[in-house]
Amino acid sequence: MDKIAELTEQIVKRFKDSGFDVDPKEVSKRLNLLIHEFKVPESEAVRTVTNYLMKELEISREQLVAESPLVKVSDITSPGRWVSLKAKVVQLWDATSPNVSQVGLIGDETGIIKFVIWTKAGKGEVEEGKSYLFRNVVTDSFAGRMQVNINRSSQIVEIDEDIQLPPRELEVVGALVAIQQNSGLIRRCKLCNRTMTKEVCPVHGKTEGYDDLRIKGVIDDGENFYEVILNEDNIRELTGIGLKEARKMAEERLDRNAVLTELKNSLLGRYFRVVGTRGERYLIVREVEFLKQDIRELAGELL
Amino acid sequence: MNRIGRREVARRIFAYEFNRSTHKIESKEEKSPIYVLTPTGMRCNRVFVVGVLLDKEETRPDTNFWRIRVSDPTGVFIGYVGRFQPDALETLLEVEPPELIAVVAKVRHFEGETRSFASLRPESIAVVDSDVRDYWVYETAKLTLNRIKAMEKKSSEDAILAWQIYNPDLEEYRSIVKQALTTILEPVVKVREGREAEEIEEGEEPEELEELEEEIFEFEEEEWDLSDILGE
Repeated sequence: MDKIAELTEQIVKRFKDSGFDVDPKEVSKRLNLLIHEFKVPESEAVRTVTNYLMKELEISREQLVAESPLVKVSDITSPGRWVSLKAKVVQLWDATSPNVSQVGLIGDETGIIKFVIWTKAGKGEVEEGKSYLFRNVVTDSFAGRMQVNINRSSQIVEIDEDIQLPPRELEVVGALVAIQQNSGLIRRCKLCNRTMTKEVCPVHGKTEGYDDLRIKGVIDDGENFYEVILNEDNIRELTGIGLKEARKMAEERLDRNAVLTELKNSLLGRYFRVVGTRGERYLIVREVEFLKQDIRELAGELL
Repeated sequence: MNRIGRREVARRIFAYEFNRSTHKIESKEEKSPIYVLTPTGMRCNRVFVVGVLLDKEETRPDTNFWRIRVSDPTGVFIGYVGRFQPDALETLLEVEPPELIAVVAKVRHFEGETRSFASLRPESIAVVDSDVRDYWVYETAKLTLNRIKAMEKKSSEDAILAWQIYNPDLEEYRSIVKQALTTILEPVVKVREGREAEEIEEGEEPEELEELEEEIFEFEEEEWDLSDILGE
């Protein structure tokens, strides 16, 4: 019986929050019937009663404030959940499809996540740097990463709080345990700077390209891993190989991959101290150096 | 950084503890990674090891399937490198033991008829210097001590599970950590020109560890047959 009382209260409160009064007796009678007599699962019973009341009172779904749990960005780990979150708009990107009104990154103190506002949602636009309460948004996974979608039932309310973002600069000490694909001497499209494979840009097809030197790698400290991007300057500082040297190396050995092999030989398995800015997935490296530590002192502390 | 299908962190563990990790954790969900639970309650799927490549030998002539032995101050890791690990194989073929290497490896778990054991399947191998080895020993010591503390508090599910399965003598693991730290504090004797003599330090290994290597060596024979069948 306790369960029924609890669910009843939940439903009554939900309607009350939206400005409607419903009769608790009526709610509990219907819940009782569905749950105890017809053995309907609780969640379905709640949904059925709520729908019934909405029809009865002639209110639409939008008018009813759903109580999605308020979460932090780092709590979002599985797709298909309704959540609410307070977050600041970090960055707006160009929408790539007419179905998308706005797309970009939002974040709170626990992390940063991609968001999509569907055109169909019919919401006002958000602004970079402002904080909002995103109510009733749906979590989703796209290309292996989590994001939140803002749809017709969602609400975006600007709030007066200044939501803190995770420290943008991060210092990491760990070993370089992997160098990923598209590292070394690469070609980029002159039009959009994307990396090309075999002189073909994924967007512009066969176009002119230019050389660049970069490493996409993984720094691992035994407890966490960080995907990092090292640019030409970082690489030159570490290895003495810049774009010019890399080109020369590729020409001499008639193999562009020779550069990657050389970089792997001199960098993989080594420890680094890295300072960089956190992006959605990668740490964009500002400073990187081979780790220099006084092992005697460190080891002494442990003994 | 909210990624699903996350990359597995490369764990740090000494050979002594690794070779005593016999329990496999397998989840029923599809495609979920297989872990080996260690006696100090860590589940690992990938490891990062820095040690001395003591030797490499083809399990059978011309198979290009190599068995390697990599030593840290506490014992020896056994690993297998074949054509499905092209990056690791490329480096391995160029290295002449003894040499200091850093290995990123997936953990493999074999169940024999009488006992089971863990080995390495390297993803990449790199030749490194003794600074890297020293830091690795320090880092591994620090993380192992943290795990020992977590075991004492029984603060995680895996710690409780490790107590049930291994009932480890934590003092034993503490002393192994101390031993490892002491070896990197000892002065290095240079033998080869321009290089530090890792093999000298290896010579100082206690006899007990030599025995351990022997045991694994014998045991490995039966496993080698298995992989041969699979490889064909």
